[in-house]
Amino acid sequence: MTRHVVRALGLGLLVMAAGCVETDRVMPQPPSLDAELRATLRNWGVVPIIPQPAQDSSLVALGQALFFDKELSGNRDIACATCHNPVTAMGDGQSLPVGTGGSGIGPWRVLGPGRQFVPRNAPTLLNVALGQPYIFWDGRVTGFGGQFQTPAGDSLPRGLPNVLTAQAMFPVTNRREMRGDPGDTDVFGKPNELAQAGDSQWTAMWRGVMLRLIAIPEYVAKFNRAFPTVPTNQLGFQHAAIAITAFETQALTKIDTPFDRYLGRNDDAMTSAAKRGALLFFGKAACSTCHNGPQIGAGNFVDVGVPQIGPGGAAEPPLDLGRGELQGNEFYRFAFRVAPLRNVELTGPYFHDGAYATLDAVVKHYNDVRLSLTGFDPAQLAPELQALYHGDAGTIAAVLERLDFRLQQPLKLTVTEQSELVAFLKALTDPSARDLSALVPANVPSGLPVR
Amino acid sequence: MIRKTRSLLIFLFACAGPASAQIIPIRTVPLARGDQFFLFPSNNLGMGGVSLALADSLLDPFRNPAMGARVSGTQLFVSPVAYSSSQQAGGGRTLPISILARAGSWFGGVSAAIQQVDNSGTSNSFPQPLALPRGGPGIANTVDGTGSSSSHGNAYAFGSIGKALGTGLSVGGSVQWSGLKALDGVDLLYPGRQDLAQSGHGVDLRLGLFKEWPGSRTLEALVLHNRFSMSHNVTYLDLFWDPANQTFLQTSRVERNLDRARTTGLHLAYQRPLMASGWRIGWIGTANFVANPRIAPNEVVTIPRDQGRSAAYNVGVGLAKLRGPGRFGVDLVYEPIWSTSWAVADAPALTDLGDTVPVGARTIENRFRFSNLVLRLGVGRDLTLTGMPKALGLDLGLALRSMRYQLVQSDHLAATETQLRNSWVEWSPTWGLSLRFPELELKYRGRVINGNGRPGSPGFFGGPLIDVAPNSFVLTPGSDLSLAGVSTITHQITLSLPLR
Repeated sequence: MTRHVVRALGLGLLVMAAGCVETDRVMPQPPSLDAELRATLRNWGVVPIIPQPAQDSSLVALGQALFFDKELSGNRDIACATCHNPVTAMGDGQSLPVGTGGSGIGPWRVLGPGRQFVPRNAPTLLNVALGQPYIFWDGRVTGFGGQFQTPAGDSLPRGLPNVLTAQAMFPVTNRREMRGDPGDTDVFGKPNELAQAGDSQWTAMWRGVMLRLIAIPEYVAKFNRAFPTVPTNQLGFQHAAIAITAFETQALTKIDTPFDRYLGRNDDAMTSAAKRGALLFFGKAACSTCHNGPQIGAGNFVDVGVPQIGPGGAAEPPLDLGRGELQGNEFYRFAFRVAPLRNVELTGPYFHDGAYATLDAVVKHYNDVRLSLTGFDPAQLAPELQALYHGDAGTIAAVLERLDFRLQQPLKLTVTEQSELVAFLKALTDPSARDLSALVPANVPSGLPVR
Repeated sequence: MIRKTRSLLIFLFACAGPASAQIIPIRTVPLARGDQFFLFPSNNLGMGGVSLALADSLLDPFRNPAMGARVSGTQLFVSPVAYSSSQQAGGGRTLPISILARAGSWFGGVSAAIQQVDNSGTSNSFPQPLALPRGGPGIANTVDGTGSSSSHGNAYAFGSIGKALGTGLSVGGSVQWSGLKALDGVDLLYPGRQDLAQSGHGVDLRLGLFKEWPGSRTLEALVLHNRFSMSHNVTYLDLFWDPANQTFLQTSRVERNLDRARTTGLHLAYQRPLMASGWRIGWIGTANFVANPRIAPNEVVTIPRDQGRSAAYNVGVGLAKLRGPGRFGVDLVYEPIWSTSWAVADAPALTDLGDTVPVGARTIENRFRFSNLVLRLGVGRDLTLTGMPKALGLDLGLALRSMRYQLVQSDHLAATETQLRNSWVEWSPTWGLSLRFPELELKYRGRVINGNGRPGSPGFFGGPLIDVAPNSFVLTPGSDLSLAGVSTITHQITLSLPLR
């Protein structure tokens, strides 16, 4: 009997041992939402942002005055703040901006007689000082390691502190945005002297603006306070750009978002829906393959199949080739800068031409880009833009030809998943960015109207 | 503020030996453990650790101090242990020295051990958050994160005393103190760390009773209380973006995580001959009540929890046969366990339904229901060498431990309830060799624990770069968390020397 028992047990042992071999590779239980999300975030370079150092108050005061002063525009009818308005989260709330010659502000601004829309959406300036390497939708101003590339080439003044300052040099040189055309007269009926310079006469354009500014005693005083070691006759527009940058850095950095608090190791800062949306964002939906890094974007250029709307660029109007407009960037036809996403909830309409008005529409577009592009209904645009929609088969085919490989196939997100993605995008909002009206000064040194 | 991830990995630590039934381990993931707490000599380890119907003359006095009544004379044991995990996943070495003695009706023992536990060798397997060279361009203020040193020392002390009261009844008490600088495998719980400093202690108190009737019937009873307290000072290297300088900054952050457990238990065991042919049968029953006022967080196992409590039980039956030079034993133990853990809100938290969870209220509850099974069996035979009977002993055995549980997790923030089932099997071949001389006895015991894993294998994070857009600069997520199977092999050599 003993032998039988021993044999039976021995056989049982062998059977069990054989069955256990399969356990050589084992899986732990699925991670919690937070653990999974944090492990995922680690891989995308999405890290907390340290606070900006306080900017010099004299610089900020000068920058604020310049930002809201229409004296910087050729026709004295538009300021930086006209299209980057605090009321509309430092954008203008329009698909395409209305530049010089227009009237009104924000979503109510209308074209002037004979004027065209600015070809690309006015991006928000919120968090523009977070160290973005590329500025403008086509990234024509870049800054890496203290080296800048701009359309001005060697004409750019030396010693600019950062790429944002380099960017601030250019809106005053753009005819459609601020400078105006030859023959224009300003709001007082005087000739627009700034429009006389040629389009490549950068130094002349900047000098012209500075001549206007130092003709105003209050500006001289403000410049002297902000740059006490620089004689008035040596002030250049780069000093104005430095001041504007200081204002943008001080006033427009808005990073106290639920997501940033979550990055700061507060698990309760985001709702579960937002966390699930974040997991989609950094996972299945593959948003983070472009929207990554500290800015959650701003690091590359992608053709995401956005409908073509507007007057177009210089290369192949009325199409806008985006970064492909720049010399040597054929690869990037129809590719535009990936937008940084903090406060995106407040900064519609979205994409380089404001094709979609809501985040829901944006997510739906990404869910099936081909379907979205071919089925785009221009009726959703403002009436004056509907005629500027280029929905012909050739244009759509050209855009789709360069469509990013990650968007070639539908993402197949469910309706719930799409809403969770939107919940995450809304977790990128700093509550203090919802009302920026306190930034609007009562008046500016030129005496021109602020609003 | 952070609601951290938690693990039930090392719930209880003071298992006196490989077959200890008095403290029931509770594990939710098959992370490989080393044989760190294998401190005392054992006769039966080579036979799979069978113990329910087969006495272990070396180990029993350490498990139940009243069983020191079986000791005759004074004996010295030196029983060094070395263990290591495959794939260079850690290991350790322990040098225990023990003395068991009897004087009249009094008996007792002392033991001391020093131990060196190696790091698990995986800290370098985890990539930095970004594919940027440490200290290279683009990263400022680099902190020198060299990680903790390669091994750490622990110390253990044990003392017991007992008295034979006559008529086969004896009582005893013991205390074991552990000074801990490293728990094996804990470094695996913090894969992104730069450094880990562990410190803590354990105290194990036992009161035992042992009754032996004529005819080799025995009853043992044990009451135990075990306290375990560890601190993990974990240094992380955090990455920040400095917008002013367009660069990443690294700063170090130290998290102090506390692990606390209190276990109170009762254990009963009864053995008697089954029939005249040498068979014996034994039964055990154990109850453990565990309170975890603090549970150390970690980043591997991911059940959110701050505190917990458990009730763990076992019932088992064993058969053994001793006839002539041969011996055979088999144990079968069933372990039903109920465990609850929960996380609490550090700050008011908004639920998905719009309610607010106040500070201190539970945000997540985890209710585990375990049904574990343990099967141990082994055979042994003594051989005669050069005219000396029983000069050589050979043992073979196998231990199987099947872990199976269901987790019901209630997330009060998301207003959801999820269920999860998990199971795995550990299997451990064992072997033993004994050499008996007139003046001393030399035993070698070994085992390999299979069926567990350790993170840090290829594919755990560190996935391949995919073809991202030209200007992207970050790594993509790797594969899901997974454990690579590792085996842990343990060797124990015991020198038994009668002192008088």
